[in-house]
Amino acid sequence: MTYTYIQSPLEQFEINSLMGINAPLFGYAELSLTNIGLYFILAFLVIVGFNVIASNNNKIIANKYSITQESLYTTILNMVETQIASPKGQYYFPFIYCLFMLVLVGNFIGMVPYSFAITSHLIFTLAVSMTILIAVTIIGFSEHGLKFFSYFVPAGTPLALVPLLVLIELISYIAKGLSLGIRLGANIMAGHMLTKIIGGFIYQIMAASPLMFVIGIIPLVLLVGITGLELAIAFIQAYVFAILTCSYIKDSLDLH
Amino acid sequence: MLQAAKYIGAGLATIGLAGAGVGIGLVFSSLMSATSRNPALRPQLFQYAILGFALSEATGLFALMIAFLILYS
Repeated sequence: MTYTYIQSPLEQFEINSLMGINAPLFGYAELSLTNIGLYFILAFLVIVGFNVIASNNNKIIANKYSITQESLYTTILNMVETQIASPKGQYYFPFIYCLFMLVLVGNFIGMVPYSFAITSHLIFTLAVSMTILIAVTIIGFSEHGLKFFSYFVPAGTPLALVPLLVLIELISYIAKGLSLGIRLGANIMAGHMLTKIIGGFIYQIMAASPLMFVIGIIPLVLLVGITGLELAIAFIQAYVFAILTCSYIKDSLDLH
Repeated sequence: MLQAAKYIGAGLATIGLAGAGVGIGLVFSSLMSATSRNPALRPQLFQYAILGFALSEATGLFALMIAFLILYS
């Protein structure tokens, strides 16, 4: 009997090369399709396929996929409208919608057993959040020019406190871009590791003896509950990621 | 020796979860009192509460992540 027994709960996050070429071209070229790349392609196909099915051959009457897609669309549109109140806010809706769908589908694909959670990788989430931070800075400069620097000085500050406050505000400005990515990555990673560890414990309990197999059903029910919580967190984190991106864009559009 | 220190460190790192627990409790207790004062605002308040829940839960998960990293790497 062979079991796919996993020693460390961090092992599920390892990036392996599925297929690729290593060739001594241009120094040393390595081009490979890793499992994270495969799951990105999968997420892309799911999003595109979902939207193609939802268009229902351009018929007027909607099918159930169209209704799902429309309710998602309305949720995100409501969020963008309440967060970015200025009329320019609507420009950023397609971006927020894409971001939300990518994170949502990535989280949900990660919840499938034996699959790979792309959003648990800080290399992906931090890349997205730092891109957002840079983009938000560029938006602020193009909207306000050099007045954007007033973002770092709250109104009504005594002159003596300005150097200290600028430093603090600058650090918090960078930290909000970092924490956006770390929050998503840490949430998904901690959730997957928690289910893996509890699953390993339950396996050891249930494999011990026939009596323990019956008793082990009780923690198994707990594990099902935790998996339900993880599904909720997968949605909430995608929502929070989108809503915080909205509020960062609003901050640099309105300067507090 | 190193293994024992790892276990002690991971156990200490989970103390941070106490703060996250207090934070989540505060978020939902405030939601309850606010909803009982003005039930008409419930959907809007619930949105903010979910946001607050996710933000305060994430701080606890940072501690949990550190504990996992100490244990397994």
